[in-house]
Amino acid sequence: MKKKLLLLLTILLLLTGCKNTKYKGTVNVLNWTSYIPDSVIRGFEKEYNIKVNYGTYSSNEELLAKITSSKKGTYDLIFPSDYMVELMIKRNIIEKIDKEKLSNIKNINESFLKQPFDKNNDYSLPFLLATTTLVVNKDNIKEDITSYKQLLNPKYKNNIVLLEDQRIVIGAALQALGYSINDTDSNHLEEAYNFLIDLKKNVKAFDSDSPKTFLITKEVDLGLVWNAEAILAKSENKNIEIVYPKDGYALSMDNYTIVKGSKNKENAYLLIDYLLRDENCIKIISEYPYISTNKNVGNYSTEELERIIKNGSYIENVGDKIKEIDKLWARIK
Amino acid sequence: MKNNKLFKYLSTTPVIIYSISLILIPLLYILFLSFLTNDAYGGVEYKFTLSNYLTVFDYTYLKILFKSSLIALITTLICIIISYPFSIFLMDKSEKTRNFLIKMVMIPFLTNSLIRTYGWIVILRKNGVINTFLTSTNIIKNPLSLMYNSFGIIIGMVYTLLPFMILPIYSSVSKIDRSLIEAAKDLGASKWQVFKNIYLPLTISGLFNGSLMVFIPAIGYFFISDILGGGKIMIIGNLIKNQFLTARNWPLGSALSIFLIIITFILIRIYKKIGGNMDDLGGM
Repeated sequence: MKKKLLLLLTILLLLTGCKNTKYKGTVNVLNWTSYIPDSVIRGFEKEYNIKVNYGTYSSNEELLAKITSSKKGTYDLIFPSDYMVELMIKRNIIEKIDKEKLSNIKNINESFLKQPFDKNNDYSLPFLLATTTLVVNKDNIKEDITSYKQLLNPKYKNNIVLLEDQRIVIGAALQALGYSINDTDSNHLEEAYNFLIDLKKNVKAFDSDSPKTFLITKEVDLGLVWNAEAILAKSENKNIEIVYPKDGYALSMDNYTIVKGSKNKENAYLLIDYLLRDENCIKIISEYPYISTNKNVGNYSTEELERIIKNGSYIENVGDKIKEIDKLWARIK
Repeated sequence: MKNNKLFKYLSTTPVIIYSISLILIPLLYILFLSFLTNDAYGGVEYKFTLSNYLTVFDYTYLKILFKSSLIALITTLICIIISYPFSIFLMDKSEKTRNFLIKMVMIPFLTNSLIRTYGWIVILRKNGVINTFLTSTNIIKNPLSLMYNSFGIIIGMVYTLLPFMILPIYSSVSKIDRSLIEAAKDLGASKWQVFKNIYLPLTISGLFNGSLMVFIPAIGYFFISDILGGGKIMIIGNLIKNQFLTARNWPLGSALSIFLIIITFILIRIYKKIGGNMDDLGGM
């Protein structure tokens, strides 16, 4: 019995050993959960014979914590959002991108380039655009929902799911009151606090990992979620309506960036170039329906895109004020 | 004799290295961090300050501490209420049955507690097992709110931490001389009197031991309040996690952790004063 076990272990060891030597290089990627389908990554490994070590995070802050607390050169390619790109440039975490090495850069829709957080795209290139939206299950909600204020209606007690994200939720409250999503005026924040205390009576849960589940299992009829989650919920239940609230909503652009001190820079460029290909962009958005930055893919019409971008706002760095916002969040909870 | 000593060193060195490198050094680092200043970009400036500790005593944070303690206290009480009858019930059973039932208490430990907590969602949610049963049999009309509130959190905490209460209470109940109970019953003591005058005083050490082991983790198990509380109720564990991940204020997070450690120390001191045995705490 023991001998057999030993033999089995040896075979297993040999097999795993074989697998490792097959690749001629590696690239270490850290990306958002549910963002790139596994098949796309496997396709890259097969084509270039490069092993992709793929890790995930669920917030920009978690990404920052992972990068700053790990040894230099641990990660090569990461996907921070707008305000985090700005912060990472300031903290010297990411390095300049050599655009010469990317032949598919021409596929990027130019309207996504030259954003305020990285004016010349020296450090980052746009990957996907996400927006927050309201979702309404028309099976049970007959009223037309167009504004955050309507969510305060006592009728919707325990019937709302919100993202577990302090900037997004407090930002939505600020927008409902007519202020900017990035407002840090203490009085305005206090008003937002009162708004959210009212709203909390109607909230069933705060969840960022999979808020769509709450809508699909009919746990709630209303939600403030990321657009891809909304589209996926709609694909399960046709009566779910997606609403861009008239008060405004958050935009979030995630970007390809290369970590300073990366040991597999060449492989990271190969992977970016591979992901920029049309067919891969299509694969990505058919599984995770965010807004692709590829101009040949176009899952949104130009006018639609213009309208969405015009009415949305990016979350910006608020510096030290984050402490006040965090405390507000603790008070709400 | 010499050989014996060598063996002693050889066998304890790995544990000592482990404790120093993975427990002592990180804790000292946290203590060090808690006196530093946090900069606007979430970094740490090497400037000494006590302000983090003053912030801990802010009304907002004290309220969260109070709320977590209340949840932990209720969890502990429920665990005690379940553990005593269970342990006393076990005493009358044959050794085989006893061992089997104690194993059943331990078996859930083989699975990751996060996965077990997710399992509760299927049972408790609006169209979950309990609500579907109750509504389809017309016992109730509208589904009950069993989770995404404090009730859900307490169920999750009790479920996860119950073994930590059962084992010490069971171990002290099983040490009681059976003849004492028989004598009490012969003299006409009611069940409550037997419990109050025999079981309780003789198992007080196990009771405190179990209470510590349940209460302390219950203050900090943020994943249970995230999953079963729907993120609506913040306990001290969530607050610390937020300081490290969302608010990027590591010094404040460290100060909160140190504060929690101090509370733990105080509770252990009380335990010792009451006459608890320190070996029981570590010897689980």
